Amino acid sequence: MKKARLLVVDDEENIRFLFKEELEEEGYSVDVASNGREALDKIRQSVFDLVILDIKMPGMNGIEALNEIKNMNKNLPVILCSAYGEFKQDFSSWASDGYVVKSADTKELKQTIQSLLRVT
Amino acid sequence: MDPFDILGQIITVSHSNLEMTSRIKSILNIVSQEMPFDEAIVYTLDTDKRLTCRYKNDKSILFPLLTEYRSHIGEGIVGSVAQRRMPEGFTFKDVPPRLGCLFYPDLDESIKKYKGFFFYPLSDDSYLYGVMFICSSIKARLNNSDKAFLTMIAREIGGILRSNQLVISSKKRISELATLSELGKIMSSNSIPQDILNNIAFIIAKALNASFVTIRLSHSFLKLDSQRFTYGEIDDESGEEIKRLEEEVKKRRETLSLKDLTPEMHNNEAIISLLTAPLTSTGRFLGTVTIGGPRTQPGPAIEENGRYLIETIANYISNGLENTLLTIKLKDVLKELNNAQRRLLEQETFRNLGEMTANIAHEIKNPLVIIGGFTKRLAKKARLGHTENRYIEIIIKEVTRLEAILNEVLNYVKESPMVIKESKITDFIDELIYLFSSDSAWENIEIIKEYDESVTLVPCDDQQIKQVLINILMNAHHAMKGNGKITIQTGRKTINNRPFASISISDTGGGIDPAVIDNIFNPFFTTKEGGTGLGLAISNKIVLNHGGHIQINNLIGKGATFIVNLPIKNNIMREENI
Repeated sequence: MKKARLLVVDDEENIRFLFKEELEEEGYSVDVASNGREALDKIRQSVFDLVILDIKMPGMNGIEALNEIKNMNKNLPVILCSAYGEFKQDFSSWASDGYVVKSADTKELKQTIQSLLRVT
Repeated sequence: MDPFDILGQIITVSHSNLEMTSRIKSILNIVSQEMPFDEAIVYTLDTDKRLTCRYKNDKSILFPLLTEYRSHIGEGIVGSVAQRRMPEGFTFKDVPPRLGCLFYPDLDESIKKYKGFFFYPLSDDSYLYGVMFICSSIKARLNNSDKAFLTMIAREIGGILRSNQLVISSKKRISELATLSELGKIMSSNSIPQDILNNIAFIIAKALNASFVTIRLSHSFLKLDSQRFTYGEIDDESGEEIKRLEEEVKKRRETLSLKDLTPEMHNNEAIISLLTAPLTSTGRFLGTVTIGGPRTQPGPAIEENGRYLIETIANYISNGLENTLLTIKLKDVLKELNNAQRRLLEQETFRNLGEMTANIAHEIKNPLVIIGGFTKRLAKKARLGHTENRYIEIIIKEVTRLEAILNEVLNYVKESPMVIKESKITDFIDELIYLFSSDSAWENIEIIKEYDESVTLVPCDDQQIKQVLINILMNAHHAMKGNGKITIQTGRKTINNRPFASISISDTGGGIDPAVIDNIFNPFFTTKEGGTGLGLAISNKIVLNHGGHIQINNLIGKGATFIVNLPIKNNIMREENI
C-alpha cells in the first residue's frame, strides 16, 4: 500500500523535526514547510493526503493558509495544531477537519490523522 | 365746642404715640362728651370673622351687656352694617322687622330710654375692621353735619385699627421669615438627618409657641433608626390623638386640627389643641408634622393661628426630604456606576494580562513540546539503564505537569461566551455532591445540605457555575486536609433592592489567614503546593460575569464560608449597558 503523504507546517524547526520523526515512525511519508506561503507552494507542486497546520506563524498564519488550501482543494484534510487550547471549539467554523492542542504527547495528533485518512 | 376743635382734638389723639386701645378710647370719650352721646362703642372683626364688642367710652352702661354676644357678619344690626358697609340709624321703634329687635330681646328693657341708635362701618376700600355704635338719649335723628362728622371719626378709628393690623401682620411675617430662615440654615447644614429633624421640631415649637412638635416619616427611606422626631413631652392620651390625626391627614392629604376631626366634642371637653400638616412631594406622601399644646394656653388657639405657618414649614421640610432622597438615590447610582467602572477596568486589566499570559504561554509551549516530545523519543529509542530511565521519566512527568499548567493558564485567559439558561441549582449541587462522595479522598468529609425550597430556577451558565462550586469545594477539602464537615445552603436574599439566589459553602478548615484573604481572588495566588492560583480567580470572574459576586465570611480558628450570590432576575445585560 502506498504511504500516505503528510505535510507538517510549523515555524518552529524542532517541532517540524519532532512531528516528522514521530509520524514517519507511524509509516507516513512526511514533508515540512516553515510557513503558510511555503506550504501553499508545496501543495501546488505535489500531492498530499493531509496537512498539519500551526496557527501562529509569521507571514501567512495558519487560518489564512487553511482558507487558501481549502480554496485549492477542498477535499484535502487539514488539522490545525496549536498551543492555544481555547480555539478548539471554533475549529469547525474555520473549516478545518480537526483541531489538536500541541503537546509533547503526540497520541492525540496521531489518532486524529488516522481517523481522517480512514474517512478519505 | 366748635366741631373743628373737636375734629382737631380727635386727629391729634389719633396720630399720637399712645397705645392703640388708649387712642380709640380717647376718641370715643371725646365723641360721647362733646357731641354728646351716651354710648360710643367699637366692635372689631376678629380672625374667626365674628364681631366683638371691644372698646367703649368711659360712661358706657351697655358695654358689659353687649359683650355677651359676638355676631357673625350679616347677623343682627351690627352684622348687617358690617356686611353692607353702609351707616344705619334707627329709633327704638323703627327697627326693621327682619331684625325683630336691635340687639337681642333681653336687652330691650335696658335700651328703651335711648332715642336714636347709629351704626358706622369701620372700613377702607378693601377691608372691614369693625363697626362703631353710637346712641343718644336726646337725639332720635342725626343732622347732616353730625353724619359727616361721625363718618370722619369712623374713618379715623378704622385707620387706627388698620395700621395696628398691619403692624401685627408684619410682626408675624417677620417672625415667620425668621423661622423659615432658621429652618433653611438647618436644612442646608451638614448635620446628620436625625439632628436636622430634631432641630426642626424645636424651631417650630419655638415659632408657634407650641408645647410639643412631632415629625413622623412614613417610610424608612432615610434609613434612620427612628421614624418620629419630637420636641417636648407628649402624654399617652395625646399620643393616641396624634396618631389618629396623623392617619386621617395621611388619608386626606390636607392640614387638619383635632377640632376639624371632632368638632362636636371639641368646644368644652378637649384639653389639647393639635394641628397636623402632611409632608408631600410631587404627589408622594412622606409623613406628617404635628404641633400641639394645652387648650387653656393663653393667646389664640394653635388651630387658628398656626395653619399658614405650619403649611409653609411642611413645604420646606418636604422639599428638604425630597432633596435628601435625591441625594441618597444619587449616591446609590454613583456607587453602582463606580462598581460598573471598576468591573470594566478589572475586565480590561484581565484582558491585557490575558493577552500577555497567552503570549508567554504560547512561547513556552513550543519548547516544552519539543523537550517533552524528544525525551519521549529518547526513551523509546535509547537503550538505557534503570537510573537513566528514571531520569527520563521525571523529565516527562514534569513536562506533562507544565503543559497542564499552561493549558489552565490559556483556559483562564479565554473569554468563553456564557450560555445562560434557567437552571435548578440544587440539581447540580446534588450532582457535585454525588461526584465527590464517590471519591475516596472525600470519604472523611461529611456534607450537609440545607436547601431553601423557594429557590428553584436561577438564570446562569450551569457549566461555569459548576466549575465555581467545584473550585470552592476543592479548596474546602484542602483547608480541612480531607477531614471535616461541609455545609451547603441555598437561600434567597435582597441586595440593593435586587433579588439574589445564594449558595453558601461552609467548611471547618480553620478559616483563611487574614494576611492572605485580600489576595485570594488574585490570579496566580495560591497557598496550595502545586496550585496554579487560578481556581478562585476564575470562579470570581465567572460569578462577576453573571452579575453576581462571591462573599466570604471568615471565622478564624473555625472555618470559612464562601457565598455565591447570583441575581435571580437576569440583569446581566443591563449591567453591561451601564
